[in-house]
Amino acid sequence: MEKLILIGGEAGMGSALTSHLIGKIFCSLGYYVFNYKDYPSLIRGGHNFNVLKISNKKIFSHGSKYDIILALDQKTIDLHKKDLKKNGLIFGVKETEPIVQKLQGPKILANDVLIGTLFKRFGVDLKILLHSAEKEFGKKSNLIAKAIKEGYKIGKKKENLKKSKSKYFISGNEGIAVGSLAAGLDIYLAYPMTPATPVLHFLAKRQLENNILVFQPENEIATINSALGASFSGARVMIGTSGGGFALMTEALSLSGMAELPLVIYLSQRPAPSTGVPTYTAQGDLKFALNAGQGEFPRIVVAPGDAQESIIRTQEAFYLSAKYRMPAIILGDKHLGESNYTFDQLSKSPLKAVSYPLDRANSYEHDKAGFTTEDAKEVVKGHERRLRKEKIIAREVKKLNPIRVYGKGRNLIISHGSTKGAILDALPGLKNFRFLQISYLKPFPKEEVAREIKRSKKVILVENSATGALSGVITEETGLIIKDKVLKYDARPFTPDILINQLKKYD
Amino acid sequence: MTKDFSTKETITWCPGCPNFKILKAFKAAVAELGNRNIAIVSGVGCHAKIYDYINLKGFYGIHGRVLPVCLGIKMGNPKMTVVGFGGDGDTYNEGISHFIHNYRYNADMTMLVHNNQVFSLTTGQATATTEKGFIDGSTPLGLKERPLNPLIMALESGASFVARGYALDVPHLKDLIKQAILHKGFSFIDILQPCIIFHNVVPYFQKNVYKLKNHKQEDFSAALLKARQWDYCFDKDKKVPIGIFYQKTSPAFESYWPQLKKPWHTVLRKPNWQKIIGEFK
Repeated sequence: MEKLILIGGEAGMGSALTSHLIGKIFCSLGYYVFNYKDYPSLIRGGHNFNVLKISNKKIFSHGSKYDIILALDQKTIDLHKKDLKKNGLIFGVKETEPIVQKLQGPKILANDVLIGTLFKRFGVDLKILLHSAEKEFGKKSNLIAKAIKEGYKIGKKKENLKKSKSKYFISGNEGIAVGSLAAGLDIYLAYPMTPATPVLHFLAKRQLENNILVFQPENEIATINSALGASFSGARVMIGTSGGGFALMTEALSLSGMAELPLVIYLSQRPAPSTGVPTYTAQGDLKFALNAGQGEFPRIVVAPGDAQESIIRTQEAFYLSAKYRMPAIILGDKHLGESNYTFDQLSKSPLKAVSYPLDRANSYEHDKAGFTTEDAKEVVKGHERRLRKEKIIAREVKKLNPIRVYGKGRNLIISHGSTKGAILDALPGLKNFRFLQISYLKPFPKEEVAREIKRSKKVILVENSATGALSGVITEETGLIIKDKVLKYDARPFTPDILINQLKKYD
Repeated sequence: MTKDFSTKETITWCPGCPNFKILKAFKAAVAELGNRNIAIVSGVGCHAKIYDYINLKGFYGIHGRVLPVCLGIKMGNPKMTVVGFGGDGDTYNEGISHFIHNYRYNADMTMLVHNNQVFSLTTGQATATTEKGFIDGSTPLGLKERPLNPLIMALESGASFVARGYALDVPHLKDLIKQAILHKGFSFIDILQPCIIFHNVVPYFQKNVYKLKNHKQEDFSAALLKARQWDYCFDKDKKVPIGIFYQKTSPAFESYWPQLKKPWHTVLRKPNWQKIIGEFK
């Protein structure tokens, strides 16, 4: 079974909440769901939509042809009808409006009518829907329950979904937050910036029950400098931002390297230079993450490929940053952060961060005790003290699965981060291709990557960027050159069908 | 034996620099306050060298960011006494946004600004508190702008403790520093520290500086009036008051956060994994 459902409407009409609830219900029935969120940078009006892929097999991406469209407005139908599959269905205002009027409730009830109608079609018990809605929205309104019941009444049962063990439904941003809690986070600081903001909201809401402090300072510069002050005091600290905010933080990123103050930075990328395309996705900041900050100092850059990896890699970032006393950047993007993934189980890493207060931290070149120096020999010693950690940490990162190879085939797809989902789902449709996922970008797993490249016939880089930065990084680290690139820089993520089309010509 | 908090580092301020006096006043204040867990934070500039000369916990930060680091240290360890040292360029130019916002936060910490009204370590350019008409390498035609008055800015930003000290009056400055540290909330002292190389206004201060007397520290209007008495310019003799301009009781940052009880590294953490992931099922 595989179904693709698009839910759309104006911002504020409820498509994001509804798609999440629908996804959660399918997960509770034992299905695998991927939920893609597409929204412009506005608060009311415009056009938002979500794409849910639902399957009885593991899936990690969405698609571009739909079995069902749930439309909260006419615009959704006008825009997406062309992508409806043959025999596809549309439920829209025509179906919901009479019921909303009958109930004399707010327009938002259309969402609940659609939920009822949709699940009736799949033969899902009404009680399950009512229970899930109550869990999500509380008992605050029996209007919601009424709307679901009415929608259920007008629906037609066409299938009988088999139930199996319920699953976990979690976004990449939630994975980052969960990973930080598991690692022993004490303080989270952030200035709001899409697409990292959901981590701020998630942790802020749960700060008292987890005994952590979540605070929003006056700007990104204050955020990172306060984080370093707290790290100096012995707290385990994480900060979150996107490219523009990270740019403001770079001077203090260098301070973290110089003063050897542990700090975890969640950098959630969005497309294009400057303000760019704020609510969409890209992987254009790879080299920025690797090179930001004045002077030469070591750092960790790790790129999770899904929500489960977000948990584990965040814990590793905390552990490594604290142990080797250097900044760790978790490189994500909007697609990873705001998409929901499904897992049978959620697992964590046994690694934890050990923190302690310092006596001295110095942005100036300093001796071992932390006192300022300009002495030539001491300057050399300072550089060597910091940079030798690169070699030691590289040995430890070898044990943390810095790369992973999926599938079999003579040709190699190379990528990092959120493209993992679409590539994994494309692999069955591609003969003779396997996929190398590089998770640690710094320290870079040179030998492992070089070995995979050398044993492949064709090597193709896949990246959600305009220049394919990872190819340059691979060349710098291994001396090997990658000529073939499949790039996407329209601010939207890859889907498996696009990848299959573009990759098959290489075999 | 009283501790003198000295280090073995060679002091590289110019001979005769009033910074020596600030160092002396601070060390004496800390000695008189007795046992405290103190962390000092500096920015970048002449003032920042003080980091090396005081044997306390220390954080030599970057230009303009003293206050965010202070706040972070306080968040990381609410039991710590935190004192920030900044220059006028550091605090009123590069870091002005933090200067304003930290009055809103009112964390229990102290900011001492070595205000020499000039960028000295970069060889003498105008700062936000340099007087109009000042001639230097970057303004050979004379500075066109008027200086800002940090005391008025602090008062209007909701400060709970505003004072001005004079580096060449060590006993008075020492006393101010003690009271600032003892104040529950964010305390600020603008310290007149005339640079004897690039902005030598010592004679003006020797003539015009006076100590506030019979001044009601809790009276906001009186504080503003006194703050306006001198405009950080030197074109004609105006009296320059020093002392505590304003002090009020106001809830400190730490009191709003029940989580801020003890240093985080002493908090035993056993994250409840099943509880954390429970909501995703």
